This record gives sequence, C-alpha cells and structure tokens, in this order.
Amino acid sequence: MAQDVAGAITTNVADTALVERRWQVKPVLLLLPSILMTVLFLFYPLAFIILMSFTEKGSFLSLAGPTYTWQNYADMIGRYAPNVGVTIQLAGLATLVDLIFGFPFAYILVRKVRYRDIVRGFMVFPMFGALYIAFGLRFILLPGGWLTPVFDALGLQGVQFLYGLPSVVFAMAIFTFPFMVMNVGAALSNVDPVLEEASVCLGAKPWQTFWRVILPLTRSGLIAGMLMCFGWNVGAFAEPLLLGTLNEQRTLAWTLYQRGVVQLDYGLATTMGVVLMILAFTVNYASLRYSRGGLV
Amino acid sequence: MTTSTQKSWRFSSRRMGDILSHAYIWLCLLIFVAPFLALFNYSLQKGATGVYTLSNYGYIFGSFIDNLLTSLRVSALAIGLNLLITLPAAYALVRFEFPAKRVILSALTLPLYTPAPVLGIGLVLAYNFTYRLTNSIWGLVFAMVVGTFPLMLIPIVVAMKDLPLVFEEAAQCLGATRLQTYFRIVLPLIGPGISAGILLSFIIVFNEYLVTLFVAAPSVTTAPLRVFNLVRTAGIQNTTAALAAFMQIVSFTAVILFFRIFGSRYLKGTYLI
Repeated sequence: MAQDVAGAITTNVADTALVERRWQVKPVLLLLPSILMTVLFLFYPLAFIILMSFTEKGSFLSLAGPTYTWQNYADMIGRYAPNVGVTIQLAGLATLVDLIFGFPFAYILVRKVRYRDIVRGFMVFPMFGALYIAFGLRFILLPGGWLTPVFDALGLQGVQFLYGLPSVVFAMAIFTFPFMVMNVGAALSNVDPVLEEASVCLGAKPWQTFWRVILPLTRSGLIAGMLMCFGWNVGAFAEPLLLGTLNEQRTLAWTLYQRGVVQLDYGLATTMGVVLMILAFTVNYASLRYSRGGLV
Repeated sequence: MTTSTQKSWRFSSRRMGDILSHAYIWLCLLIFVAPFLALFNYSLQKGATGVYTLSNYGYIFGSFIDNLLTSLRVSALAIGLNLLITLPAAYALVRFEFPAKRVILSALTLPLYTPAPVLGIGLVLAYNFTYRLTNSIWGLVFAMVVGTFPLMLIPIVVAMKDLPLVFEEAAQCLGATRLQTYFRIVLPLIGPGISAGILLSFIIVFNEYLVTLFVAAPSVTTAPLRVFNLVRTAGIQNTTAALAAFMQIVSFTAVILFFRIFGSRYLKGTYLI
C-alpha cells in the first residue's frame, strides 16, 4: 500500500541501509538517470509552458521574438471562463456519481465479497483507456443499440442521451470508478467491523450506523477518493469529444488541443495548460494529504 | 435462539440484503465490461446486419498491422528504458539514507498527477523548439517513459522493501561483490515486483492515445491513435471496433496472465489495482 512505500523510505537507517553516512556518491549516481529524465521531459516542458503562457499567440515563432503580455490570462477569466466552468462542472458531476455508486460498491467488496480477484480482474477494463469507454458507450446508446428496448419501454428518446451531458458524465465516472473504490476500500478495511456490530447491538438502524459510525471513520478516504477522481477527470479528452454536444466539447483539454496544435496559438494553449496544471496539482496534493501520508 | 416466531431464513431480509449486494456488484462489473462487449459485438458483424463474421479481424493483419507493430515497438522501447533507469533508482531509494529523499520521491512521481494534455502540449513545445525530436520515434518513447516511470518505480520499491536485508548481507559475507549480490540475489527475488511494473507500464503505453496525439510524428501512428483518428474521420466502423476490441483483449489477457502467475499482491499501492 501507499503507506508501505512511505515506510520504505523512512524506516530506520539500521534496518534497510547499508552504510551510515549523510550524503554519499552512490545513491546520487544511481538516481541520476531518473532525475535527469524527469527534469528533461517533465520539469523543463512544464517550465516552458509557464513561460509561453505569457507570450502573445504565436509570437514565439516570430522573427522579432516573443511579445509578453497578460492578455492570455485575461482571456481565460473573460472569454474562456465557460470552458473552465464546463471542465469543472463535468469533473465535479462525474466525481459525485463515482461517490454515490462507488461507496456501496467498495463497502460490499470489503465486507461481503469473497471472490475479490475476479472483481479486480473486471475492474481493469476502465483503465485501458477512456477512449474505449466512450467509443463503446456510443455504440450502446445508438438507436438500434442494446439499450433501445429499455428506452422504448420508458418512453424516452435514446438519442437525447447519446449526445449530451449524462453520457459524458457517465463515461467519465466509469473511467475513474476504480480510483474511488480503491481509496474508499482502503479506508473501509481500516475500520474494524466490530464497531459496526456494536452500533447495531446498541439499537441503531442501518442508516444510523452508516451516518454516525461508518461515514465519519472513512471520511479521509472518501475525500482522498473524490479529489483523486476530480484530478483525473479535469483532463478528460475523449469522452466529451465523442459523446458530448458542443457545450461539453468546450472542455479545457479539447480546447487546448484545438488552439495549440491545430491553430498554433501557443500562448493561449499554454495558458489553458497552466490552468489545468494548477487545478490538477492542488487537487492531487490535497488528496495525498488526506490519504494518510500517501507517497510523500 | 427460537425459530418459531422467525420467518424462514430463505426469505429473511438478511438474505435479501446479501443477494441484492452481490447483484449490485455484478451490475457494476457488467457496466464496466459493457463498452468492450458492445465493441466486440459490433466488430463481429459486417455493417449493421446481424450476420456474424470474423472478416473484420482480417484487417488487423492487413492495414492495421503497421500500427500494431509500432505500438509494440514503442512499448518495448519504453519498458526497456524504464527498467534501465528505475532499477538503480529503486535500489538507491530503499537501501540508502540521504536527505531530501521524500522530496526527490515526490518529484519523481509527479508525472502521474500531470494531466495528459498538459504533458502533451509541454512536450510538443519542448520537442519543437529545443530538442528537435519531432520526427523520430524516440520523442514518443521518452514521453511514455516519463509518464510511466512512477508506475514502474512503486512496485519495485515495495518489492525491495519487503526483501529482508539478510540475504544481501549473507551474500556479501560469503564473498560476493556488490554487483554480484545485486544480479544474483536481489534481482531474482524482486522478479515479481518488476513484472508488476512491466505489466502496468505495458498496459498504459499500449493503450495510450492522448499524449500520442500531441507528440507523435506522422510516421509513428500507434494503434490507439489510429482508432482515435478513424473514429473522428470515418465514424463508427466495424473494422475500427475490431481493432479497439483486439487491443482490449490483448491488454486483458496480459493482466489475467499476470494474476495467474504472480497473484495480485504485487500490485498493491499502485492505485491501479
């Protein structure tokens, strides 16, 4: 578990280390390739993005050199505020769906299910990529797809679900469902079943047990799961594109691609990248703090 | 406990609760697999008719074979490079004490939390203006390596931490050099952890389309990128569905094989299993 990793790093010197000196040459040498790789291909591009976000459109390419401006950020707050809003809205809704359906799933998985390996085997499917989820969901929701009899029975038009907010949110929720289940499951397995049994013995109804015993004890895991799902969903790219109307296609990830790679407006694209970065990093940092130490 | 005033156990609310719980689990699992099954179903048909045929899979060995081979090449290169830099890093992190260890670890796992579009646009800019890597397969490989490096590192670190120091000390007492100890004692014993890392990296790299979309040179089109392009240009075709289903089958088979051989405990802590 993540705690194991933290423990690996901070156990006593006497337990796992071979030499007792402060700074040594060997570990630095051994770590050098990975640090080099990360610096060259992660930190440098990120710094580049931040720098570029202050330039004006494609002026980085121009002969006169880049012109620096705050205009991109002004645009983000003004003209592109709906994009940021849609991104946060979609990610938030998907996280909510994950929470509502993921908590019972995790609870049943931890407390009642014996065939956990089979469940784990099935749970890898969403991780293969949001693209397949979106693609497959499109099939299912098409007229003539599998859900058509269900829709006819309910008297609904299948097509209004195909391209719209519900299917996009549903696809995003499927994609990050395993993250929520993992976090909540870890928190739940730390709760002694004895406590629930005691609460039932003392006369609490099931919902009271849930609300007053289980929920407070698993709160940190819940929050960590929600934050992790949100952090992964802000970068959603394929689901809004394949399943969404023009409104959903205004998510930051897709707008970034259009402005940056297609229209070569690097200034604006990198500004969106910076906004995404801030969103994702703060959320993930907060989630690590809540998941009892995590990796840091 | 007296049973005369109790309903029979068959219909008690407790049993109903159990049945409902299991039904809920299986419903959710069905929802996970449903997109794949829909794709699979469609890939076995020709057009929208109900005729089932395997002819679409012939395309896999026809026009899609280049993309699949490219995917495999990128995966192999990325995994190989990853192993090369992760094994020393894991050893340093677990067996040595030095200040700033936590900071370095959190800096190294940062790529896991960077949204793919951000990584993509950053690398596009870096490749275009500084590194000049736009036309080679190595651009994509380096992007994959930096993205899956944490996924390779964590299982190996956990495996090394679980390995008692006694073995290495014994080997060195018996006269082995550091290098011999590493290659003949440590490496075989953390084999399952390394395999877990390889599995995770393979799954991610094989199915990665987002960073590929930004970074890949036109001559380097991996299979998931091909699926994405086809969906956007040609709409929903049976052959595209065949390719997508094939890739999922390959990934799923890899996972099942891993579970069969090693069990699931080596993937703990990676937040993916």
